[in-house]
Amino acid sequence: MPGKPDRLTLKTYQVGFGDCFLLTFHYGETAKHILIDFGSTRYPRGAPRGYLKKVATQIKKDCGEDLLAVIATHRHRDHIRGFEGNSKNNGPGDLIEQCNPDVVIQPWTEDPDAPRNASGPSMGSREDVQSFVQSLDGMNLFARSVLPEVRHLFTPASAAAAAQLAFIGENNIKNKNAIRKLIEMGGNGRGHYVFHGGKSGLEGKLAGVKVHVLGPPTLRQSDEIRRQAHRNEEEYWHFQDAFWRFQAHAVRETGRRGSPLFPDAPLAGDLIGTRWFRTRLKTARAETLLKIVRILDDAMNNTSLILLFEIGDTAVLFPGDAQIENWMFALGKPKYQKLLKKVRLYKVGHHGSLNATPKSLWDLFEKRGGRGDPERLKTVLSTLGGVHGSSDRNTEVPRRTLVKALKRESDHMSTEDIPVAEMGRTIELDLS
Amino acid sequence: MQFTDQLPHRSLTVLAQDPSVSRGGRALTDTVTVPNEALSPGPKGHRIHVIDYDSSTDTHIAPLADGLDDDPFRDVSDIDALVGNPHFHAQNVYALTSATLLRFEEGLGRRMNWGFPSGAHQIKIAPHAFREANAFYTRQDEALLFGYFPSRRKTVFTCLSHDVVVHEATHAILDGLRREYTRPSSADQAAFHEAFADIVALLSAFRMENVVRFALVRGHRRDQRIIKEESIELDALRQSALAGLAEEFGSELTGVRGDALRRSAELKEGVDYLSQPEFQEVHRRGEVLVAAVMNTFLKVWTRRLEALNPVGAGKYDLDRVIEEGVTAAAHLLRIVIRAIDYTPPIDLTFGDFASALLTADREAAPDDRKYRYRKILQDTFAGYFIRPASSNGAGPGFWHAPRKDMTYGYSGYAEMRWDREAVFRFIWENRGALELNDDAFTYVASVRPVTRMGPDNFILRETVVECVQLVDVEARELAQLGVEKPGEMPDSMPVRLQGGVTLVFDDYGRLKYDIGTNVTGGNQSGRLKSLWQNGEFSREIGSERRFARMHRERAMKYSSYWQEQW
Repeated sequence: MPGKPDRLTLKTYQVGFGDCFLLTFHYGETAKHILIDFGSTRYPRGAPRGYLKKVATQIKKDCGEDLLAVIATHRHRDHIRGFEGNSKNNGPGDLIEQCNPDVVIQPWTEDPDAPRNASGPSMGSREDVQSFVQSLDGMNLFARSVLPEVRHLFTPASAAAAAQLAFIGENNIKNKNAIRKLIEMGGNGRGHYVFHGGKSGLEGKLAGVKVHVLGPPTLRQSDEIRRQAHRNEEEYWHFQDAFWRFQAHAVRETGRRGSPLFPDAPLAGDLIGTRWFRTRLKTARAETLLKIVRILDDAMNNTSLILLFEIGDTAVLFPGDAQIENWMFALGKPKYQKLLKKVRLYKVGHHGSLNATPKSLWDLFEKRGGRGDPERLKTVLSTLGGVHGSSDRNTEVPRRTLVKALKRESDHMSTEDIPVAEMGRTIELDLS
Repeated sequence: MQFTDQLPHRSLTVLAQDPSVSRGGRALTDTVTVPNEALSPGPKGHRIHVIDYDSSTDTHIAPLADGLDDDPFRDVSDIDALVGNPHFHAQNVYALTSATLLRFEEGLGRRMNWGFPSGAHQIKIAPHAFREANAFYTRQDEALLFGYFPSRRKTVFTCLSHDVVVHEATHAILDGLRREYTRPSSADQAAFHEAFADIVALLSAFRMENVVRFALVRGHRRDQRIIKEESIELDALRQSALAGLAEEFGSELTGVRGDALRRSAELKEGVDYLSQPEFQEVHRRGEVLVAAVMNTFLKVWTRRLEALNPVGAGKYDLDRVIEEGVTAAAHLLRIVIRAIDYTPPIDLTFGDFASALLTADREAAPDDRKYRYRKILQDTFAGYFIRPASSNGAGPGFWHAPRKDMTYGYSGYAEMRWDREAVFRFIWENRGALELNDDAFTYVASVRPVTRMGPDNFILRETVVECVQLVDVEARELAQLGVEKPGEMPDSMPVRLQGGVTLVFDDYGRLKYDIGTNVTGGNQSGRLKSLWQNGEFSREIGSERRFARMHRERAMKYSSYWQEQW
């Protein structure tokens, strides 16, 4: 086998609102396949029943039932739902497992033993790590608690907010089945839970390719960033942790008690004089809940892996759904700035949302620019418009100003252009 | 029955702090004075309508239908009985909001109006609006919304916290007085709404005898009658009334209430907090203003105590000590409230507020020789590096009379007391003398006649007018207006400059003060810089409820890197 790949291909599967990529390094006749994420929260229009299983079948075929690695960038359903198995062992996750990945890579926050393993100088104290991981569970729990409430918050004025709330809430429910499957696949030492600057788990497995972990930062690294941005501010994670642990506690307590707040209090009927206000209050509730759920959605996105594959003068970047808080650590370091300048293929962060492609990152890419350059930057966007955010509020996904820049300055491909029947599309990078 | 047959006010029972502040299962209650009005079930009065609808569970509790003219909780002190009764919760929010409103009306010498675009007269209050550790005022919903949440085997109700209720009510009242203060502006203005609400809440608490008594004798015998001299010295009061009382509050509510009381004890004079990066964040910045006012309060209190005669060697009558504390709090609260009339209509700084406080006090009580409140206030504020905006902090710190002569006679004095058009005519004729911008969109936001009584029983009549100016330009045009463009702001970015002036007319219709900000003046550069740095130009456009967000951010210390967004 040659000492370095002569080309790479990236197959982007059409999964609607979600991510699913098969990255393949070609060494002459030999190919090494890496599956990066497999999930969806909203299927593409026209998708048949059992669609993810069909995609899994296609992946299995495309990789010749042989995966070098599975990478799950973070725990959102639109990135891991496809890893769900079933009792008949023929769920989409079961099919992926049958491709026998040598390595399963996830962020450190997914390590089931994270608190126990929190001993490195850069990780943070054991208590902090434990607390942070619990706060992620708290977020999942809070998201689940929101859904029953949403049902009675729909009013003509709040319909848009309530629909967003339901969508984001659902995406943030803990996907236990898929998480379990990923842990199983990572058993027997195959699981790697990685962090900024640490090992990727692919060392020695891809000749001529260096894999850099740019994110997520550890708690200690994050605190360093926060201190730079807001001097003297108390530790950021601690506030976040406390808030979400508090929310989780509140959800559990509410569930445990079950009874109404004032069991003996007489209830009012539909009082005409209060109808206007009740409608307004429902709208207010839907909109404020949506803000909270967006915050937890962002926090979860910021646990996302950011991986950069360096092959000589070329770099390929997969940032999952990482947002700026995750990115800040890498972007502040000259070593990574230098690497990022070489990016020729960029998987657009978080389905093209407004804050997952930091402008300072975009400005680093030296290969972006006008047409005609054979090495011009290629960008790949996996998304589905009209389900996340709102154009009235400049939060639509994908963000139109970002898409405009992507089209203007790169060879851009979006899954919105891939018909369901085609299921996926491949692009190629010549590395020779 | 004629209204004249009734007393104008009546008393209602409220919790003096929150359910966590109790002894042996007995609640620390007190009574507050509210207008005597004919209530409908809710309670629903002429300014307040309590609606007990819970949006999290879609439950609407029926209001109490009988006994509305009475105080059904007058003799109830069992804390569980009060906490477990939603009708007491309704009474608590009604009474505290109503009392706060009354305090403003008495202080300002006029009726207050809410700041709702619809012109609605009744604010809606939901005591159990949602299951969340938050409480906020929302202009668009014309409401005060109080959340509840489970915690350690009990439920915490934000509507039962005196500080939280008065804080939110104050946001609503201030919004009616200075609508523009919710607009993004300088760091000081952003911090002011929170700080002012905290100040009113804390001073209102110290107006309650039971709270002051609790702060002074907690842990001691209930029937204590004497207090030692060392316990009423300044440092001791700071420890008992600020830090000690904060210690007693339920920690569950810290995220909702903030921690202004404790911070007031922690933030020491002599440190320039406001120039430190940490204190650019609105909540932290606001704590400095709260600390300045609360430490002024303690000094005024101790000053008043100096005049007391001891009842024995180094011993003082506790009731008299409490009475002096309540009086000091009441006086300072009245001045804090009146000061709002002497603040600019937009783009407020803490220095403006210092000048407004000093001016308000002088107008209401010209003779300050006995207790020297104004000297204490000015010195304490200087200790926190807050200097009166008039004369850059030099001199007595009052606002000045207009520097230029005004032209009168286009509008009569009587119509200048209420008619916006008549006042605008005055402004138009004097736009040069008032140094207003000729090109700006200019409007009179309010004309408010006031009649106030000073402590020396002198009646003070004034008319307070808010005049606002707006100029919309693109960033590239800022330089020609003498305003510095923030470094990275794109040339094509639309920018709204805002300024204006508060005009205070005397009993003869003559202008006493013109307090304001030039819409194209040099201070706009600092304001724009602050807005740009805080990401206000990129905030999501929409109906986000401002106070919901601010209070949530206080709980989460959440911030974002807006410059990196698309």
